[in-house]
Amino acid sequence: MNLLPFVASGVGLGAIYALASVGLVILYRASGTLNFAFGAFGGISAFLAWQLKQSDVPEPIGWIVGIAVSTGIAYGYGRYFAPHLAHRDRVVRAIATLGLALFLFGGMALYWGVGVARRLALPTDLNFVVLFGVRLSLTRVIALGLSLAMVCSIGLLLSKTRVGLGMRALASDRNISAAIGVRVVRIESVAWLINGVFAGIAGILLANINRLDAGTLTFLVIPAIAAAIMARLSSLSGAFIGGIVSGQIEALLIASSPEIANLRSAGPYIAALIFLMIVGVGHGVGARE
Amino acid sequence: MTEVSQPDTVTLVAQAEPEIAGRLRAIAIVVVVGVVSGIIALTCGGYWLSNFTQSYCMVLAVLGCALLYGQLGLVSLSQWALVGVGGWVSLRVYHYVHPPFFVTMLAGGIGASVVGMIWGLPALRMRGLYLALVTLMLAGAFQTLVTVISFPVGGPGFLGQVGASGNDRINMARPNFASSDTSYFLFVAFITMLCIFLVEAHRRSKPGRAWALIRKNEQMAVAAGVRIVFYKAWAFALTGFVAGVSGALLAGLFGQLDGSAFPATTSIVIFIGTLLGGYEVWLGSFLGGLLTRFVPALLIDLNVNTNVGFMLFGAALLFALRDPLGLGGQLTLLAERLYEKIQAQRKS
Repeated sequence: MNLLPFVASGVGLGAIYALASVGLVILYRASGTLNFAFGAFGGISAFLAWQLKQSDVPEPIGWIVGIAVSTGIAYGYGRYFAPHLAHRDRVVRAIATLGLALFLFGGMALYWGVGVARRLALPTDLNFVVLFGVRLSLTRVIALGLSLAMVCSIGLLLSKTRVGLGMRALASDRNISAAIGVRVVRIESVAWLINGVFAGIAGILLANINRLDAGTLTFLVIPAIAAAIMARLSSLSGAFIGGIVSGQIEALLIASSPEIANLRSAGPYIAALIFLMIVGVGHGVGARE
Repeated sequence: MTEVSQPDTVTLVAQAEPEIAGRLRAIAIVVVVGVVSGIIALTCGGYWLSNFTQSYCMVLAVLGCALLYGQLGLVSLSQWALVGVGGWVSLRVYHYVHPPFFVTMLAGGIGASVVGMIWGLPALRMRGLYLALVTLMLAGAFQTLVTVISFPVGGPGFLGQVGASGNDRINMARPNFASSDTSYFLFVAFITMLCIFLVEAHRRSKPGRAWALIRKNEQMAVAAGVRIVFYKAWAFALTGFVAGVSGALLAGLFGQLDGSAFPATTSIVIFIGTLLGGYEVWLGSFLGGLLTRFVPALLIDLNVNTNVGFMLFGAALLFALRDPLGLGGQLTLLAERLYEKIQAQRKS
């Protein structure tokens, strides 16, 4: 069987998972918070972009508004609510974002409905690139390129800027960082801001490649977490590769028998569970729990 | 002499107080569950009776979640999936051999208990956030799996499915003495009470002490001779059993189950219910479980979109995290203060 078409179709989904996974790891490293609301932030962004498109607002403005709102919500939570839980353990901080995810999911489902077959069309859907003899929509290629570019930018931010230095210090030890004068709340707020931008972009891309649905978008976070787990919640490049691998697992499962293909969305979870059972938590950031 | 007698007196008091507290707790469980169930059985019918029966099934799921979080500090986000496992196993056993309801229920409990222990295996190597993630992924994987394979409905083969028309579906029978909706509700209430006693008995005895020590410090627990793997597996088996019983009771309520009724979101709501109710006391699980079903049912009854329920639970979680006692814990504290006041007045 020629698997190339499936590999090619998994590129777009893998790129989104990679983007989401890297977004989660950046925030987790800097603040110790695993953001379960990442998918919901993305959902808000995608729905707003779609809503504005329906109102004949130029598409780029819709995307910018969507990403800006998801970034605003992420920043607002990180700046004003998250610090209240800063001294609770990591589970409590993660569970709190679960509450935010549920709140946003309820809001989206209430306003836009659930189970309605919708898709956020993008202008790049009509253009194709031929890769290994397989036609690939330009949106998927852009998704991959954008993910790579954003991961590289974050790498540069972490290694070349003062904010990046602060983030690395927080990832190493929050208390010592605070003692030596790192502005903890400010750095964490920046991490939430970056998380919001990543979520906004990932949401718009997923609403195009998969579907525009509150549940699908909110629970984008689970395969993204699976990918982040494969990077032990600590390595950005690992998170990127984990995301690409998760996308490929889903795509390749489609190529198998129809029964297994129906179970494809569970693929990344199973892969992450097997990874955890065999490799373990190791010395990643989360291992300190 | 004083040096010897004083510790003896303290020991006697320390021994007497738990006994009294234990008796009071047992009375409180019977009175609260009995009175609440009695009022529901006398005043509700149809829609509300069905929803309260489901609420009691939720109570069982919350009970397990609270045990794991309160006793061992383990966050389980897959409790509703375990209820689904119990329901699947009980329906499978029922359609194979048509045993009495109690056997079906026990099969569901044991099946979910075994699966719960297997799901708990990661807990032997990790805890905290990683365990929460693992259980959430298990809940997601179960949601996908059960949507694809669905629940047995009396057809041939292991999966027990029938043709697309679905005309040959067979319902699981309720116990003979609980065939009406009201009697079945009271039966579910009785089983819920037994499960609360089962969990409380564990909390107040040797396993409870072992769990408390494990939570405090695993190395200390090992030094004290506590078998970590055994007692952790025990906790997962117990919570799996209770969830499995809940699944069998749900299957008995509707006669058959649908895959779409077991989304990962419900497992999250179960955990929120655990925090809202309070995970330290049985009353917290009872109230938390009731709330998780009562709120959506009330919204439907008031013609309000059920998605408002998700918003309410989400917002409630953000506030519940600031109050570790929860609703049940606050009420228990109030009752204890009241009891102490009455005792002090009697003495004076």
